[in-house]
Amino acid sequence: MRGIEGAQEVVKIVVTVSLMVALIFVALWIWPEDQAHPLGNLVSTGELKVAGVTLTGQRLLTIGTAIVVAIVLRFILRGTRLGIAMRAVVDDRSLLKLNGGRPDRTSMLSWALGASLAAVSGVLLASEQAPSVIPLTLLVVNAYAAAVVGRLRSIPGAFAGSIVLGLAISYVGAYTPADAAWGPIALDNLQRAVPAIMLFLVILAQPQVRLRAHSLQRARRPMPVPNQRLAAIGGLVLVATVVGIGSLMSGPDQNTLLKGFGFAIATLSLVPLTGYSGQISLAQLTFTGIGAVVMASWGASGDVFWVFVAVAVCSAVGALVALPALRLSGIYLALATAAFAIFCYWMVFQQQDVMPGSTASVPYLKIGPLEVGSDFGQLVVLAVAFAVIANVLVALRRSAWGRRLTAMRDSPVACATLGLNLMSTKVGVFALSAAIAGAGGALAGRTFVVDDFGLDQSLPITMLAVVGGIGSVGGALLGGLLLGVAPIATTALAANAIGVFRVLQRLGHPGDLGHAGLHGDRPRAHPRRCRSRHRGRLPGLLPLREAIAAAIVAAAALWLAARTELIANWGLFAAVVVLAFAVLPVLPAILPPPGENRRGRVGPTAVWLVVLLAVTALIPWENAIGSTGFRLIAILGWTVLGALTTLGILGLDPTGRLNVSGASPDHIGLDSSLGDAEAMVAAAEVGVDEELLSVPTPVALEVLRGGGDR
Amino acid sequence: MSAQIPGSRSGAASSSKPLLELRGVTAAYGGIQVLHGVDLEVPEGAVLALLGPNGAGKTTTISVACGLMEPTAGKVYMAGADVTGVGAEELARRGVVTVPEGKGIFPNLTVKENLLMATYAGVDMDHVEAVAYEQFPRLGERRTQVAGTLSGGEQQMLAMARGLAVNPAVLLLDELSMGLAPLVVEELYGIVARIARTGTSILVVEQFARTVLGVADLAAVMVNGRVRAVGRPSEIENELSAAYFGV
Amino acid sequence: MSGVTVRFGGHQALTDVSLGVDEGQIVGLIGPNGAGKTTLFNAVCGVVTPSAGSVRIMGRDVSNLNTHRRARLGLGRTFQRLEVFSSLTVSDNVRVGVEIRQTWERRGTTARQFLATDGNLPVDAEVDLILERLGLGGLADVPVGSLPTGQARLVELGRALGARPSVLLLDEPASGLDDPETADFGRLLTDLAGAGLGILLVEHDVGLVMDVCEHICVLDFGSVIASGDPEVVRANEAVVAAYLGAGT
Ligand SMILES: Nc1ncnc2c1ncn2[C@@H]1O[C@H](COP(=O)(O)OP(=O)(O)OP(=O)(O)O)[C@@H](O)[C@H]1O
Ligand SMILES: Nc1ncnc2c1ncn2[C@@H]1O[C@H](COP(=O)(O)OP(=O)(O)OP(=O)(O)O)[C@@H](O)[C@H]1O
Ligand SMILES: [Mg+2]
Ligand SMILES: [Mg+2]
Repeated sequence: MRGIEGAQEVVKIVVTVSLMVALIFVALWIWPEDQAHPLGNLVSTGELKVAGVTLTGQRLLTIGTAIVVAIVLRFILRGTRLGIAMRAVVDDRSLLKLNGGRPDRTSMLSWALGASLAAVSGVLLASEQAPSVIPLTLLVVNAYAAAVVGRLRSIPGAFAGSIVLGLAISYVGAYTPADAAWGPIALDNLQRAVPAIMLFLVILAQPQVRLRAHSLQRARRPMPVPNQRLAAIGGLVLVATVVGIGSLMSGPDQNTLLKGFGFAIATLSLVPLTGYSGQISLAQLTFTGIGAVVMASWGASGDVFWVFVAVAVCSAVGALVALPALRLSGIYLALATAAFAIFCYWMVFQQQDVMPGSTASVPYLKIGPLEVGSDFGQLVVLAVAFAVIANVLVALRRSAWGRRLTAMRDSPVACATLGLNLMSTKVGVFALSAAIAGAGGALAGRTFVVDDFGLDQSLPITMLAVVGGIGSVGGALLGGLLLGVAPIATTALAANAIGVFRVLQRLGHPGDLGHAGLHGDRPRAHPRRCRSRHRGRLPGLLPLREAIAAAIVAAAALWLAARTELIANWGLFAAVVVLAFAVLPVLPAILPPPGENRRGRVGPTAVWLVVLLAVTALIPWENAIGSTGFRLIAILGWTVLGALTTLGILGLDPTGRLNVSGASPDHIGLDSSLGDAEAMVAAAEVGVDEELLSVPTPVALEVLRGGGDR
Repeated sequence: MSAQIPGSRSGAASSSKPLLELRGVTAAYGGIQVLHGVDLEVPEGAVLALLGPNGAGKTTTISVACGLMEPTAGKVYMAGADVTGVGAEELARRGVVTVPEGKGIFPNLTVKENLLMATYAGVDMDHVEAVAYEQFPRLGERRTQVAGTLSGGEQQMLAMARGLAVNPAVLLLDELSMGLAPLVVEELYGIVARIARTGTSILVVEQFARTVLGVADLAAVMVNGRVRAVGRPSEIENELSAAYFGV
Repeated sequence: MSGVTVRFGGHQALTDVSLGVDEGQIVGLIGPNGAGKTTLFNAVCGVVTPSAGSVRIMGRDVSNLNTHRRARLGLGRTFQRLEVFSSLTVSDNVRVGVEIRQTWERRGTTARQFLATDGNLPVDAEVDLILERLGLGGLADVPVGSLPTGQARLVELGRALGARPSVLLLDEPASGLDDPETADFGRLLTDLAGAGLGILLVEHDVGLVMDVCEHICVLDFGSVIASGDPEVVRANEAVVAAYLGAGT
């Protein structure tokens, strides 16, 4: 969890949620739901009568399991040295070292315990009859709804809560028959929403917590301020790419990509919320859903006016949801949003009036006389929207408000003593984020189904944002697309996507800024083995006219080849990935900016790069590998291989002594190599942000590197 | 228990040998060099006070000695063995205890959990607790309090308690007196002197020269990343005032 | 403030403490570790809620106001355990202080006098002025996370000044400063007070406290055990026994 040190709440939430999901998965794998299994039968014969209501054993078991999981977790994190060390790592990494603990190993373990375990059990389960994830996440909410009664601290409180919850579920079950309704509102799913409602009510009833005067002791690294010019160029490139690739795609693929972009915008909404201000929400896709529904039911003409209405509705709803939770600490916001997501899923999106036939058809956009008529057109609209929002966010980060958000994340109490109204600032950023997520839905121009907006869909997005470190615009695009496009949107994917994302990101930056020296309060030990890495300067792409030209030529050639059906679409995709992550990073070495010498074996490398691209494009990915997920993984592996081979031929250390010129002379100019601080700034120049640089290293890369950290 | 450093032998024979030794150490943050060849020796059982103005590089010296930072040149020896580049966690397990400047605790763990972290160095929890609570009864009263809510001085006591309980071979103290009442500072230095008598080598970094010079066997003055003078406290008084007032 | 009492669970951290700071006055607050000094600060700026007593700023009872409301009435503070915005640079830290102030009405005139401005400086100019005044000019673009503690404390002070307070609570601002720097800092405090700022200073560097404070208050186990002029306090036996020790 290296990337999220100092964000205690966030860590707790992510580890807890993923661990819970994982354990539940494991439990269900051992005792499949659809089979008669002795334990279930055993318990379900028992009954408990409380206040005249019968609690079935099954229901008690459900809630009981959740609570047991919570208790076990609590025991691990509070009662064992390892668990305490996991929390200690979050507080102060180098201090743990000074105590003789091994922070890297500890982080790896908590990482393993959390996300990876979730992934593993998810994968294991995929071969079984996959249980519906909804009851599982419900289970988590059950546990929390019960535990919140005890303020997440007292175990008797949690038990009392669970009894109340069980009773409430029973009562509601008894009084709402299958066709129950209240006016036009169908109540048949009310029972399932009870835990969420209860959670929300209990949170409402909590007294305000006081500011803590010891927010973050750990010094944070400077956060690079993103570069507006680069963001603008990036936006243009994005739109151009979408036009280029979209025109090659088949109809269904375009439609999937629409969803991908919708989700990418939803992920983008976490950039200000999580990236800048350190809050966390588990309901982003619910807002996307609200945006989609508003557009589908009121704005069926597609008029742009309704997009604004949808956005306004989302931000208002967002503010309302966040308001009660923001009085409390971070974990309550996560819980409140989770409860909100579940509530909306069962009680809002399931209403026939809201999503007729459980679908919502978002129309194509219409601006005055201009009307979008196809998926392709809408795709371009989405790309433009993404680029515009991303640029606004970058501008925001550079503004006074953005600075204030960062300041609030670093030390809320200090902000309050300067006269900042924390509450309204937080509500503001939450509303903004909900609005962006809503825009993703309102502009998606496709038909969604109810299941697109469940908590199980939002969780991966947030986990990706937090664990994978999508604090940046580029990361949001990649992560959102991955989640939206890949058909296997399960917890397993969430973890896979994180891994995928990490590898991509590392590959893109052979300077390997994420390594040890950048972490912790003061630049610390650089293990000798990797000292050379820190000498590596980041390849700044902007001054490299020739390299950029070469890349554009290559991209254009690939596009033409695909257009003329010389290569298949997956070939094109693979070639683009290789181009971006294996070819671009070495271009600065062979096509340096004016005034710098070429280095390494230039000739053979150039030839090899062309061959690599051609071969990649010609591999019949589509026929060779059946599932999209595995195809992605294979392409990734291939890219890694390509990158390493290239570096080998070039004759440079793969760990990044690509000593090419930095992003801007302003940032360098020191006598020797880039310092950490300058490197951060330089990284910002190429669009990498702090969070990105510090997320945990995937095992794969650790292995590649030969053992990883000490 | 204090002789965990490889090759260290307790007893009079080895006492002439420095337990901690820095030779020509240079260190840099990013591209900026802050230590320019530091030589320091702390003999076994001695207290060396490292003094100097703000930004002189004292904390950096400690970071190098405890293994958190790797020197760009030069060597670090412990009990004669070259430990340059050995990680901080490894050194900690071999008996080097560091109390870092102003943030020696985990603020979100309780007092007791903080002490538990000291057990990585190979002592058992009962011992750690016994020593800590005996030395600082105040911590005993507050064992379940979250360390971040302790008063500043109590936090410093907690950090120090960890150092005492582990019974270290080498003790590195950075600005021990920060945030402590004058009475407590005096008392702590009494303890420091006592620990030194058990054979522990102690390196103390301070800005307030007065109190620490009372217990130090040796003192070194550091200015701009170089050691200007080393000697008995009485010998370096002049150097010291020169260093602070920029002669 | 008067009669402030604070409890944490069974532990009573402050018992019936009353204390006042006038315009342009520096009041020292000293006492052994855990005496309740920081807790008193927290109570004054609304980070903890006293179970009894009231806090007044310029005659106005603020006991029921939120932290940020109190800040807007002219209360500024620094923290014993640093609360800098460590992912921002030195100048951005101060800038955030100034910018937050600009979002609410400006009130405190004293910091303005100290900075000798007409009160309507552009943000950049004000930030530069503050940095220069604190001797941080050369460090403007350094990330605060890599500063030595002493300088980081000055950054906190600068940030607080950016909000133009009329009362400033300083919690061990000089720890981490070396002797000459402490002397400079003492002069800075006197200048600030000269410009009309009321300062409540918690510090374990007794020399500094005795030098700059007109009035000293000694806290032990949550109550005031002595108060008065520096000489009076220094001579007080209870204070010597509880805090100063024989050495000073
Ligand atoms: N993380 C860092 N990044 C960049 N420079 C740093 C960092 N930490 C310290 N420095 C610089 O290195 C120099 C030496 O710092 P160091 O902390 O070792 O001094 P010190 O003698 O301990 O000072 P103090 O008495 O204030 O604690 C200072 O100029 C400081 O600004
Ligand atoms: N949130 C809390 N919960 C429980 N006890 C607390 C809390 N905050 C403070 N205390 C206790 O109240 C007492 C007073 O603490 P305070 O921080 O005010 O001391 P202080 O006078 O500032 O001491 P120092 O000089 O060491 O900083 C301490 O014993 C501390 O442990
Ligand atoms: Mg220091
Ligand atoms: Mg205090």
